[in-house]
Amino acid sequence: MNLNFCHKVAATFLFWLKSIRFFNWAAPAIFVLAVLHGATGQVVAHDPTDLMTQAAAAREQNDLPEAITLYSQVVERTPNSPDAWWFLGSLQYATGAYVPARDALSHYVELTPKAGPALALRGLCEFETGQFPEALQDIQRGISMGAANQPRNEQILRYHEALLLTRLGNYDQALKAYGYFAKNGIRNPDLMVAIGLAGLHTPLLPRDVASDQKDMLSAAGEAAFAFLSGDETSAAQRFEDFFHRFPQATYAHFLYGYLLFATDPNGALAQFKQELTVSPSNVDAGVMTAWALLVQNRPADALPYAQMAVAKEPGNPAAQLVAGRSLLETGDVNDGIEHLEELLKMDPKNLDAHIALAGAYSKSGRKDDAHRERMLSLQLSNESAETVNP
Amino acid sequence: MRVLKPSILKLPLALLVILIVHTSARSQSSHENAAASCAGCHAAQSQEQPHTPMGMGLQLPAADPLFTAHPVLKIQKGPYTYTVETKGSSSIYSVTDGTRTISLPIHWSFGKGAQTWVLDMNGELYESMMSYYPSIDGLQVTTGDEVLDPKTLEEAVGRKLRKTEPADCFGCHSTNGVAEGNLHLQTMEPGVTCEHCHTGSVAHMIAGLQGQGYETAPPNLAKLTSEDMSNFCGRCHRTWATVVRGGTRGPIDVRFQPYRLANSKCFDGADPRISCVACHDPHKSLATSQSYYDTKCLACHALKNSAPPKDAPSDAKACPVATSNCASCHMPEVKLPNGLMTFHDHEIRVVKPGSSYPN
Repeated sequence: MNLNFCHKVAATFLFWLKSIRFFNWAAPAIFVLAVLHGATGQVVAHDPTDLMTQAAAAREQNDLPEAITLYSQVVERTPNSPDAWWFLGSLQYATGAYVPARDALSHYVELTPKAGPALALRGLCEFETGQFPEALQDIQRGISMGAANQPRNEQILRYHEALLLTRLGNYDQALKAYGYFAKNGIRNPDLMVAIGLAGLHTPLLPRDVASDQKDMLSAAGEAAFAFLSGDETSAAQRFEDFFHRFPQATYAHFLYGYLLFATDPNGALAQFKQELTVSPSNVDAGVMTAWALLVQNRPADALPYAQMAVAKEPGNPAAQLVAGRSLLETGDVNDGIEHLEELLKMDPKNLDAHIALAGAYSKSGRKDDAHRERMLSLQLSNESAETVNP
Repeated sequence: MRVLKPSILKLPLALLVILIVHTSARSQSSHENAAASCAGCHAAQSQEQPHTPMGMGLQLPAADPLFTAHPVLKIQKGPYTYTVETKGSSSIYSVTDGTRTISLPIHWSFGKGAQTWVLDMNGELYESMMSYYPSIDGLQVTTGDEVLDPKTLEEAVGRKLRKTEPADCFGCHSTNGVAEGNLHLQTMEPGVTCEHCHTGSVAHMIAGLQGQGYETAPPNLAKLTSEDMSNFCGRCHRTWATVVRGGTRGPIDVRFQPYRLANSKCFDGADPRISCVACHDPHKSLATSQSYYDTKCLACHALKNSAPPKDAPSDAKACPVATSNCASCHMPEVKLPNGLMTFHDHEIRVVKPGSSYPN
């Protein structure tokens, strides 16, 4: 394989991403012409076959159907040509043919496994075809392999990553991803709606939001954005305004509490409790109320919230964790262990569960089990640190 | 048998006690007064405690013997010169770059031996960039702050404390300074007093004087399991869980004894012989005799060729090498990376030659 081609693919990808204007993140296909233009003639000199030459010429002339046809013929004859797969996939993506584009890029990735940009582009295809878990995985892998190595590309990929995290219900990770935009002062109306969706635990994409919900979501997004930007005073005011305008909005107090938690645990606790007055059966609010109380060494106060949460959602790992810890720390060691072991069945690498179990086994005189859990916890903690700082 | 006092006596007596406690608050010797009040019934625990490192965990400058012994402390660090100068009851921490100087009064000295100062600059609290270390009898960079590279004179003063940190600092080094996670310097008493660990002891004392002491006794900490005791002490000395979550690894974590101890294979959270207080009486100064600690090890381990102690754990082996000075090998001294402080490693283990520091 032509090694220079890797660089060319990356360059094409970067150019392509650069061409996507901020307000069109969700409709990159519009920029097909720029993509084609950006790759002008680069492969011709390196590929002697007539078909490749003709395909490149068609691409140069913006004759997308012809170029796609010709590249399809190339890959039929020489299926090990990464160059042809790349152009075929990117052109198909550009014309909105996301399924064949995805498949073509899959061939390319098979031939070039460490191609971050191709993985990221495949992730964007999968985003369009509704394969959200796959899209998230590919975009995150692409980012980890350097696809987000320029600010513009990073914006596009992080935005889609955050959208996908929200769509898949991983709201706290989504908010962390949106923190990138707040820290860099990047904002627009769609972004505010998107942050609002993550903040208010709504597993939708902005394009799927009903028009009568946009105002509320945008207001929540603006408040969270202010907080994530470091302007806590403005955030406080915006949240107050929000609570006044939308007193029944679920997860709004939870969102503010979540944001406050690291710097103002008391304020956060008050917000979590407030969420429970708006939405008494909110398991997440029950979990976070219990967690905030456990952090303050108030396990007896935490216990009722934890029990409410785990009774409503026994399959919720966080609910099992707070229930286990609350019971353990109020002296009910055996019941605490039951919850924590149940949690490990769902999530065997849950560090908090291993940490709590170490203490629980230790208290109950199971010295060897406790030591095993301690060493496991250390291992998991070290692995997690290595993941963050490889 | 409990003697009930006539109710008419109760109010003036209670007021008197409150008055004593209240007027003693905020003075350097408040914890001595509080301890003296407790000493009426708990003499053995109260006499020495105010003079221990915990009892003097925070000192007010006027009563800090370090400043009396060292009227001027000075160090040059890169482009900055640090001076701690004491005149009368006032101690000033200054840093200059030769052009400008920032001088701040020291209000609080944290620590009895090694000392760090928390400084108030423009309404924000800072941990002083320089600390005093007895091992060099002088100033050096505060442990953990070696990585800082101050670019301005303001940054050179020290590390600005994060929002929740002042409550953590004062919460451990003083008493009644933190309520519901918030710092309340008006009620803060320097050092760790009875009330710090035995929450409710002041109320108990008042009730005791009214003949109701038994009903109001604070929880008996001696009844905590070793695991719970480790977590209790770990609130300030860092629990095992805190250190694991925090990710601090290497010799710098030798300072966190509850974490180190819990990593030991012999740590059994249900066995009182391995509890923090089995070896350390928090009401007394640190015992330094090796033979004292040997007796603690021999509560579980047999001497070579001797019968094991009663109820010895099945895996508690006799040491094949020595019959005394256990800690010198099995709890070796470890220097912090800055070389300025040394701690016995509480991760009890067989230390093999050339083995690296674990966990």
